[in-house]
Amino acid sequence: MTGAAAARRIALVGRANAGKTSLLMHLTGTLQRPVNFPGSSVECVASDVVEGGVRLCVVDLPGLASLQAQSSDEQAALDALQGRAGPAPDLLCAVLDASKLAVELAFLRQLRRLGRPLVVALTKTDVAASEGFPVDTARLQLAIGLPLVVVDGRTGAGAAALRALLAAAEIGGSERALVDRGDGPAASPAAVLPRVIARSATDAIDRWLLHPVCGPIALVAVMVAMFQLVFVVADPAIGWIEAAQDWFGGVVGGLVAHEALRSFLVDGMVNGVGSSLVFVPQIALLYAFVTVVEASGYMARAVFLLDQPLRKVGLSGKSFVPLTSSFACAIPGIVAARILGDERDRLATIVTAPLMSCSARLPVYVVMLAAFFPPQQAGLLLFLLYALGLVVAVAVALVLRRTALRGGGSLLVMELPTYQWPQLRLVAAHTGYAVRSFLRTAGSVILVATVVVWALGYFPRPAAIGERFATLRAAAPAGEAGAARRAQLDAEEAAAYLEQSWLARAGKAAQPVFAPAGFDWRMTVGVLAAFPARELVVPTLGTLYSLGEVEASADAPDERLAASLRSTLGPDGRPTLDALTALAVMAFFALCSQCVGTLAAIRRETHSWRWPLFTFAYMTALAWLVAVAIQQIGRALLS
Amino acid sequence: MRLGRNKMPAAPSAARQPLSAIARGARAVVVGVLGDDSLAERLRASGLWPGAPVEALARAPFGGPLLVRVHGFRLALRREEAARVEVAEVVVP
Repeated sequence: MTGAAAARRIALVGRANAGKTSLLMHLTGTLQRPVNFPGSSVECVASDVVEGGVRLCVVDLPGLASLQAQSSDEQAALDALQGRAGPAPDLLCAVLDASKLAVELAFLRQLRRLGRPLVVALTKTDVAASEGFPVDTARLQLAIGLPLVVVDGRTGAGAAALRALLAAAEIGGSERALVDRGDGPAASPAAVLPRVIARSATDAIDRWLLHPVCGPIALVAVMVAMFQLVFVVADPAIGWIEAAQDWFGGVVGGLVAHEALRSFLVDGMVNGVGSSLVFVPQIALLYAFVTVVEASGYMARAVFLLDQPLRKVGLSGKSFVPLTSSFACAIPGIVAARILGDERDRLATIVTAPLMSCSARLPVYVVMLAAFFPPQQAGLLLFLLYALGLVVAVAVALVLRRTALRGGGSLLVMELPTYQWPQLRLVAAHTGYAVRSFLRTAGSVILVATVVVWALGYFPRPAAIGERFATLRAAAPAGEAGAARRAQLDAEEAAAYLEQSWLARAGKAAQPVFAPAGFDWRMTVGVLAAFPARELVVPTLGTLYSLGEVEASADAPDERLAASLRSTLGPDGRPTLDALTALAVMAFFALCSQCVGTLAAIRRETHSWRWPLFTFAYMTALAWLVAVAIQQIGRALLS
Repeated sequence: MRLGRNKMPAAPSAARQPLSAIARGARAVVVGVLGDDSLAERLRASGLWPGAPVEALARAPFGGPLLVRVHGFRLALRREEAARVEVAEVVVP
């Protein structure tokens, strides 16, 4: 403690669910930045705050239940704690859950043996009281002989006192009692805990939610509610973003006169930013929902109910959490697989997570369904597409656990927390964090990729095409009478440029590969453009199929694209797409792993190229096979 | 009163049996955890040490995990995990 510049590193140590994250939020005001532990991919949240002239750098370590690690998360927390990865923290703050005092005191005994300066934050005293055993904190503090502050993770009460303690606690010398010399005064659970446990509200709720019949029904209801929220509630917000994108594109287009620059700004930049922004409502809603389910205590119940079925297919009940997140986006899902203690379980979960239909696939489904199927069939088909991903994931997990990932098996042993009302602030913080990191990572990749796809579709610009259409335009009647003709010529000119662009050449070159699935060169370009990110499929198809269109309609962009998908004719004069091909296209996108971000996340989480390459290879092969099977079998049945 | 399968209520049995075998609603006291691997360590760190009172709260369907109360909180563990925990003084209400 030497003046205003002094900084001390403080680690929050405790079980998962002890309330470390909300404590960090109340201590420092925000969840500021994710940090990676040196030498590992394990991420934790850190935040700074100045208190009494001391800068406190508070790190929220992954949850620990004992000083013997079971998972990579726990190993990273232990390494950080013991200074094996970077400098050891100056001060440990044990975050102890008052509702589990007996095991927390056993854990505290282990922590004291580390010989590091230690203070205690006691959380969830309200939960302990609601479960029928209020904690006598004065007696507890006497029993453990360490500085202790009671904090309320929900209201933040006690956070200021803890902040003051963290800034003032002695960290250098050993003359104070903070550095423990052994087991310390006996802190026997019996001394502070009553033995009789009363029935609580949680028991009453669990009676229904964990009931052998009602429990699974409730779980299905929760999942249905989640999909309703993500796909129905998010819809208007997505519409507003698309409208804003159209408006902004129009404004920019009106301001810029230079043709190539205008196309770059409108078709490249605005389109690229817009096509990432449209996913924000769904990602935000899904995260908010997952956070609510998690914070209320229900997520652990879902894991409990699903453990046996998921183990039957080679996963674990805990796989439910990463797989659920993957319905929004596989990248956070792959990161969330860290909660799986067993390496084989974790790999099986990571490799199958991209098969969950993420929100980036939804626009492809929506456009295809709207173009080729009546609404009553579209809903059923959408459900079947999600089911297709799930069924294939089950099959892949089963095969893997019998071959490459044979053996092993994680532990379940986990706490089912007391039900609580989720804190709005925590939900908002988690959701904001997820949206920001999506925009930062996916946004940059998608933006760059959109610009590349735009450039490949815009160039080259041979002068011959421009001259030919200039002549035709001059021949058109002047004024109102020729307006329609001129608009048609504009569209034909754009299509003529596109037909000979590098992108079209690549699509035509690759088209034979996709011919058995019935994809024309435009759809092949869509597949190629999708590789950087699936978000690009719809904008690219929009460019490829709508350029031949004559009249600009005031319909929604999806409607416009749907109409042109139906009406685009092939060289033989027949429509290039029909319902069967649309099915093949959707099945292809449901199963393929066309997403650089996902593959990069798998590389990061597995520390090897083996698993991302394997994931890409097996998913692409499966996608192609299923698309070809749909096209060929469907043709045979229809003819 | 030492018959393991005694149907009479409130009849504590001194016979040891695995935690996985006790019925829903039954209470018992942990005698010990078998083995010395990471599972045993995790079970002990979760409060299943000798003398800890436990109560069987629920069982997941299809042979899934069971839920016990120990030291006032709820712990979910798979049946084969629970089989490693020996209990005695089983009371079936």
